[in-house]
Amino acid sequence: MNSKMRTLASLEKGEKAKVNKLYAKGKLLQKLLDMGFVNNVEIEVIREAPLFDPMELKLHNYNLSIRKSEALLIEMDVKE
Amino acid sequence: MKHIKVALAGQPNCGKSTIFNLVSGIEQHIANYPGVTVDKKVGYFKYDNYKIEMVDLPGTYSFSSYSLEERVAKEFIIDEKPDVIVNIVDASNIKRNLYLTFQLLEIGIPVIVVLNMMDVAKRRGIEIDSKKISKMLNCPVIEASGSKGIGGKDIMKGIVDTVTHAHQYEEFKINYEELEPHIHNIEEKIESTQSVLNKRWLAIKALEGDSSIISHLKTEFNDIDEYIKNQEKLFHEKYDKDAPSFLASYRYESADIIHHNAIKEKNLGKATLTDKADKIILNRFLALPILILFMFLVYEISIVGGYKLTDYTWPILAAFKNLVIDILPAADFIDVPMITDFGIWMVNSGNALMNYLPIFFILFALIAIMEDVGYMPRMAFILDRVFKRFGLHGQSTLPLVLGGAMVGGCAVPGVMATKGIADDRARMATILSVPYMNCLAKVPFYTLLLGAFFKPDMAIMMFFISTITLFIAMIVARIITATILSTRETAPFLMELPPYHLPTFKGVIIRAFQRVWLYIKKVVTIVLAVAIVLFAMLQFPGLDENAMKVYEAQGTKALQTFDKKVKSSSYYNEVDTKQKVSTLLNYYDGYRAKRMVTSSREGAEDVDNEYREINPSSFKFIKPKRDKEAKKVNKALRTLSTQRKRILRGMKNDKVESSLLGMAGRSIEPLTRYAGFDWKINVAFLSSFAARESAVATLGSIYENNKADDMRAEEAMALNSGYTPLHAVAIIIFMILTPPCIATMIVVKMQTNSYKWMLFAIFFPVFLGIIISSVIFSLGSFNNWSGVEAMIYFYITVVLIALIIGLFPTKNINWKGGIQSKAKGQYNVYENNFNIGENR
Repeated sequence: MNSKMRTLASLEKGEKAKVNKLYAKGKLLQKLLDMGFVNNVEIEVIREAPLFDPMELKLHNYNLSIRKSEALLIEMDVKE
Repeated sequence: MKHIKVALAGQPNCGKSTIFNLVSGIEQHIANYPGVTVDKKVGYFKYDNYKIEMVDLPGTYSFSSYSLEERVAKEFIIDEKPDVIVNIVDASNIKRNLYLTFQLLEIGIPVIVVLNMMDVAKRRGIEIDSKKISKMLNCPVIEASGSKGIGGKDIMKGIVDTVTHAHQYEEFKINYEELEPHIHNIEEKIESTQSVLNKRWLAIKALEGDSSIISHLKTEFNDIDEYIKNQEKLFHEKYDKDAPSFLASYRYESADIIHHNAIKEKNLGKATLTDKADKIILNRFLALPILILFMFLVYEISIVGGYKLTDYTWPILAAFKNLVIDILPAADFIDVPMITDFGIWMVNSGNALMNYLPIFFILFALIAIMEDVGYMPRMAFILDRVFKRFGLHGQSTLPLVLGGAMVGGCAVPGVMATKGIADDRARMATILSVPYMNCLAKVPFYTLLLGAFFKPDMAIMMFFISTITLFIAMIVARIITATILSTRETAPFLMELPPYHLPTFKGVIIRAFQRVWLYIKKVVTIVLAVAIVLFAMLQFPGLDENAMKVYEAQGTKALQTFDKKVKSSSYYNEVDTKQKVSTLLNYYDGYRAKRMVTSSREGAEDVDNEYREINPSSFKFIKPKRDKEAKKVNKALRTLSTQRKRILRGMKNDKVESSLLGMAGRSIEPLTRYAGFDWKINVAFLSSFAARESAVATLGSIYENNKADDMRAEEAMALNSGYTPLHAVAIIIFMILTPPCIATMIVVKMQTNSYKWMLFAIFFPVFLGIIISSVIFSLGSFNNWSGVEAMIYFYITVVLIALIIGLFPTKNINWKGGIQSKAKGQYNVYENNFNIGENR
């Protein structure tokens, strides 16, 4: 099985991938963990906001919006 | 009776407040937590010989110390040690909600899990085995549905049962496997602590890097900081994992296990109603028009509709005013007792604010509905990109709209609506920029000035005034976030977009009432205090003797004229002394005032009957009908009433001019001269501090000439003031920039919890206003601009500045940590692939 590392921000609408690593620290890291960005969790990109930022995700069966600047710090494991 | 203290905890959107309203009954009150702006709701109820005090903790996703809400919730648990924690869980979204449940269970205080929204879960085809969950978590699990009113009794019973059996409570433990030895080490290290809190919990929190717990422990163990860091390092070296991530993953995995064992989802993968609705509401092309439509509706229903409603509530307030006037000692012709003056002044000040209550009630109800439905975070999602550029937040949309994105709003609900903004810096910036928006009470002032100086260009000028405010608010927000607020804490934009819910009628009404009540309590009391000060400043030192003599002479002359006119009447014996005339005059004025506020025929008849009853013999002078003799008196009485009003007004103007406030207005004249303001304008601005409406009243009364003609205030001002349209533009610009009406300032104080910020919110706009007005006025005088030209140049400049700021990429460092590592190039490998969102 091939896989490729990308950031969450680069995922397209409808793409699914698993969280591989968080590059955030401190407050942001804790917040991301609390919202469910733990290792190996599957995330699906639902849509971008009408003005292209932030983006809406689905993880753990709920919807979350995140700014692209934060999504850049989340490394995803995308199946090819 | 035994007392039980209950903490109500849960994640946002789990329906916590519906459960709170369901069980706590009517005896509840809200206050701020000391030192912070988070609401503290407490409800009291009796059950089975127990007095239960339930504290509604702020909704939190987790129990760490990273947000204000979390800190408040945790400090409550640590300091107040509740007997039991009731954890509300959204049954339709169990997995994520259990993440918090695990953290609560670890604290070591008995926990009751309430599965709320069972009806929603059932509708979505989610089957939950609550007995199994109860067994796995080793704590009571109660099924409920707050919006349907189901489960209240069970919760109360659960609370009492748990407390009476607290000694049987078995401690809950998650086995963190690899991390266990390190937890154990820290536990041993803090063995001797005086704290009654669970040691294992303290150890886990310390490993999580929870700053408030670590500093708590530090008071007892000096070197604990290093010890914890060392344990973390050991763990990291052995397993290449960080403790916080490890703990979070573990809790999510545990939640997954429960989810797997006790829950069956039948409709998995099917598009829910929320998904379908979001396809439209968050659609790239439809989202903005829909949002504008909603905002327009909110504005239309609350501000416009609410204003119409005041047509019905105003008579109540006016009746109250008349009642007070009836009670207060009556005037002896032109000699009005100070207590009467004072009473009327206070009622007027109070009424000016109470008049807004219908608007606020509707507005707060609509906000509550939007919160319940789940539109608020979606609104933020749609517009965040725009607001971010100005240091604001997507959640700033509603406050700014309420503040007056259209012709007139009100800063009070606008500032109050900033409560939910997660990012503290953006919240502060929103609070401080909302007052620049277009205030409803300023509109009469603009109309007065435009009517006086810009008759042909009224429409375009009004357009400038109503649209420029948004640009100004944005620029101010950008300036203050980049400067004085730059050190403020910010939060990442991670917002849940919860499924749409139908709001409950009871919940909406309760919240609207609570917010209105808060407004009445805080704002009205303080506003009345300020009104007293202003009254004193307008009253003293009062008229000097010479001026008094002039007015007395005028009064005597008016009386003599009246006497001459009625002498031939057969009723002369009823009006032959000053005393009798004064009483009749007050009777007449009282009747006129009451008739003014009744529009219906029956109402008018009621007033007639009332006055006929009070004094049957005087009534014939008010409504003489065919009685010729009485008609004569009536005619003279009318003239006398007009004359008295004019003399009183003249006295009032003189009094204002020589009063402390008048002196203040004069003393700042050298400063405001550059903006073209004379002392009269200064006084109008100073007195409008209590309520914007009084600016027009003050100006109107100052510019009214003392000749008896029917000139309108606009004409009088254009004619008598000696101002040019350029003056008017400077005054308008100052009015646009100067928001601090006292009610707004009080809510700024409420929301920022600091007098310092309140003072800043008062003086910064004044400073800005005077500078900009002076610049425009001076440039305008120098270049011979017309009023409209000056306004156009001002408008273009402001819009350009806003556009430049908006298009200029912001290098906003939003938090510590993430961005820093990027700056250091920690993951250079990726840099080429990164599409940096900010620069797109």
